[in-house]
Amino acid sequence: MHKLIKWMRRLEGWFGLAAGIFLIVGLYMALVTSPPDYYQGEVVRIMYIHVPFAQTSLLAYLVLFIGSLWYLWKKDPVVDNLNHAAAGVGAFFTIGELLTGSIWGKPAWNTWWTWDARLTSALVLLLILMAYLMLRMFMDDHVKEARYAAIVAIIGFVDLPIVYFSVEWWRTIHQPLSVSQRGLAISQEILIPLIVMTIGFYLLFTYMVMVRTRMLYLGHLLEAKKGRLLSQAHL
Amino acid sequence: MIFFRVIRWIVWKDLLSEIRSRENISSMFFFALIIILIFSLSLSMDTEMVKEMIPGILWIAFSFTGIIGLGKSFLVETQNDCMENLLMAPIPKGAVYLGKLLGNFLFMLVVEIIIFPLFVIFFNLDIFGQIPMIMLICFLGTLGLAAMGTLLSAMTVQIKAREVMFPLMLLPLVVPVIIGAVEATKGAINADPLKLYQQWIQLLAVFDLVFLIVSYWLFEFILED
Repeated sequence: MHKLIKWMRRLEGWFGLAAGIFLIVGLYMALVTSPPDYYQGEVVRIMYIHVPFAQTSLLAYLVLFIGSLWYLWKKDPVVDNLNHAAAGVGAFFTIGELLTGSIWGKPAWNTWWTWDARLTSALVLLLILMAYLMLRMFMDDHVKEARYAAIVAIIGFVDLPIVYFSVEWWRTIHQPLSVSQRGLAISQEILIPLIVMTIGFYLLFTYMVMVRTRMLYLGHLLEAKKGRLLSQAHL
Repeated sequence: MIFFRVIRWIVWKDLLSEIRSRENISSMFFFALIIILIFSLSLSMDTEMVKEMIPGILWIAFSFTGIIGLGKSFLVETQNDCMENLLMAPIPKGAVYLGKLLGNFLFMLVVEIIIFPLFVIFFNLDIFGQIPMIMLICFLGTLGLAAMGTLLSAMTVQIKAREVMFPLMLLPLVVPVIIGAVEATKGAINADPLKLYQQWIQLLAVFDLVFLIVSYWLFEFILED
């Protein structure tokens, strides 16, 4: 069995457990101990899942990009399983980001949706991830599929900053980043639950990717054992 | 040098087969004409609205006709095992990419040169002094569409459901080109001072440069078998 898969099977449960603990503690802090916002009141609490969703979808894309470069370099089919998993889970977190953002947008901006820079680029990111996943759906040859998918992921990652700048120039009303190099614009009482939640989401992401990678790997293994896979790379 | 000879041959081959069959350019041209018709029927515009909306309609027409041409670009190579021959030939793969790109770019540009005057006539535009600037914007925007489209066309031609997958992958990736080209064209058509829209032209140039380099490098992985 592949080294990476063995390692994942051993650590998977611990990541799941850690994610659960962080999320429970984070939710308690976010919903109970943290104060309501001066302007937005209780509504602001959705931030504690919206921001982690957004952070995690960026992490997913980073993993996908590095994994794709790694795949083109080493051609390891398990790395391809990892990329596939990261893209699928990343799409889930991007959808979460858009949905929670929309729910927050209604009370905060009095609109469900606006074509502002970050919303638009998050939507474009989701569309790129969907194109990536659909490309994989339409291919039979696993070796070619892995290579083409890696190419699309790399193009998409290179494209994303350009998309972001173009839509930002185009229009923007999103509130400025709260955590920047110039200093913290938010108080400790809000920042700490936010960090706990973000770590919880990162752990959850890692756990989901591990489970999904192992699932995809086992699926390919089964196909290879049935003799349907042309390349016997998994065996 | 063999590199430039390969580019020249591939462009020449594509141009020759296009001149003989006239398949690509005529289908792109009529599709563009239909887009103009549909837009003028579905949006009722007065002179002020036209100035606001024409850049958008123009680039919808350009990018959709581009999709028709680009999507078929590598389809011709699948006939008579052309793809296998290109793979086996002892030539740099990047040159194959640049050759196909140049051919696609020329087809798209020819169609744009034909349909742009139709836009001017149908929508009563007064843009005579702005023609060099609009040409520059079309050049940069089309290059960006063609650079990305040629790469994706080489990929999608080898999978099922290519008619669906090609636009599905191309359009989200060329969002910056569409935004940049539309905004720059808007500035040029309204005869704004260059300072107001030069950032969009710079955006197009950066996009073109980045994607020429990235696609040139990634193309080798598509043809690798």
